[in-house]
Amino acid sequence: MIKCVVWDIDNTLLDGVFLESPGQLPAPDAALLAAARELSERGILHALASRNPPEAARYVQQATGLQFAAAELGWDSKADAVGRIAASLEIAADAIAFVDDDMLERAEVAAALPEVLVLSPEDAAQAPDWPDFSPPVLTDEGRRRGEMYQARLRRQAEAASFGGSREEFLRHAGTRISIAPARLQDIPRLHELSVRTHQLNSGGAALTEDDLRALLSSPAEKVVTVALADDFGDDGLVGGAVIDRNGPGPWLVPVVMMSCRALGRGVLDALLAWICRAAAADGASSLAVPCLVTGRNVPMRLALAAAGLRADPGEVSPDGRAVFSRSLDGPLPRLPPFLSVPGGPA
Amino acid sequence: MSGSAGAVADRLRLILAEVAGRPEFACLPDETALFGSGAGLDSLTGTLLLRRIQREFGVDVAAEDMNLDALETLGTLAAFVAERS
Repeated sequence: MIKCVVWDIDNTLLDGVFLESPGQLPAPDAALLAAARELSERGILHALASRNPPEAARYVQQATGLQFAAAELGWDSKADAVGRIAASLEIAADAIAFVDDDMLERAEVAAALPEVLVLSPEDAAQAPDWPDFSPPVLTDEGRRRGEMYQARLRRQAEAASFGGSREEFLRHAGTRISIAPARLQDIPRLHELSVRTHQLNSGGAALTEDDLRALLSSPAEKVVTVALADDFGDDGLVGGAVIDRNGPGPWLVPVVMMSCRALGRGVLDALLAWICRAAAADGASSLAVPCLVTGRNVPMRLALAAAGLRADPGEVSPDGRAVFSRSLDGPLPRLPPFLSVPGGPA
Repeated sequence: MSGSAGAVADRLRLILAEVAGRPEFACLPDETALFGSGAGLDSLTGTLLLRRIQREFGVDVAAEDMNLDALETLGTLAAFVAERS
């Protein structure tokens, strides 16, 4: 599934060459603009990679009305530019499409980044009809994804010039994390998170909307959502967890998942701390989180370790899962000051 | 701690100061806990730190240490890396 389209400017998004038309700047290409707008509606991001001065990006943004989550303007290789965009947005190369009218640029990107979907402008105009560009569900968070990345650029710029610890910055930014019981209307977003999250997903399995409906109506299970906002923007629902309350024994948490947009904003640590405390308050003796152990979900394992959970390295299941657990006696992880649990259980 | 683990620890302090954006970590004592109230390592900073260690020392801590116990203190992490690099 494509999450971001990286566009060339000259003779691609614009009907002409920016630097060769100083008197009257070229208009956007109508067919590509229509396709790009349709992709925005589906929550797909746009970025620019162009051999032009930075003014070209400003002009394209103003002429098209599109929001660009990243722009690489300059004269070095397009493959490097696409690589930097992927890294800055934390999007894997196989979720990126690159559109350029120049066959050599397309060949260079395709050779350097074989996972990237490389398209001519003619192909890109048809992209909305392709399954790669058609996310199965479209949530409010999905539609607002472009806006959230803009807020993120402003947040990162401020964080870069802020002295002090990350927690001090989170407080300075007015971070607000809320944990609440999942409602029926949260099901599409929870499904989307289960499909889209990999780095911060303990279970590693997609939850269908039917699975989620069954969990929500089951008395033995509890599903919670995590919402994140700060003074820069509202990220909506960024995570969730499924908790299997198995009587007075251990609390089992089969799913912990978090959007990677929330990485570095204290959300996963807050969720795990809250789960530890809610389990202890519920009288559970211990907490167990089965987690797929892969190279991709290292951030999830770091958060589990930071919350005091450990697994037995000799007890990894054939499908690569280990059960991370901890006792709930003794000191529990601290809840961050900017966490609220409105009407939440425990 | 052997000389080489000491040199690794010095390098790790600088990397940690950089990825956490906390210049004062350049003087972090070896016995400082990395998680929690010590250095307050979170999942983002931890991931960046492990990525840098893999690039600079060729040691994939996350692959060799499922529980990431090596990240208990700066000293334990330096010893883990020094032993394998």
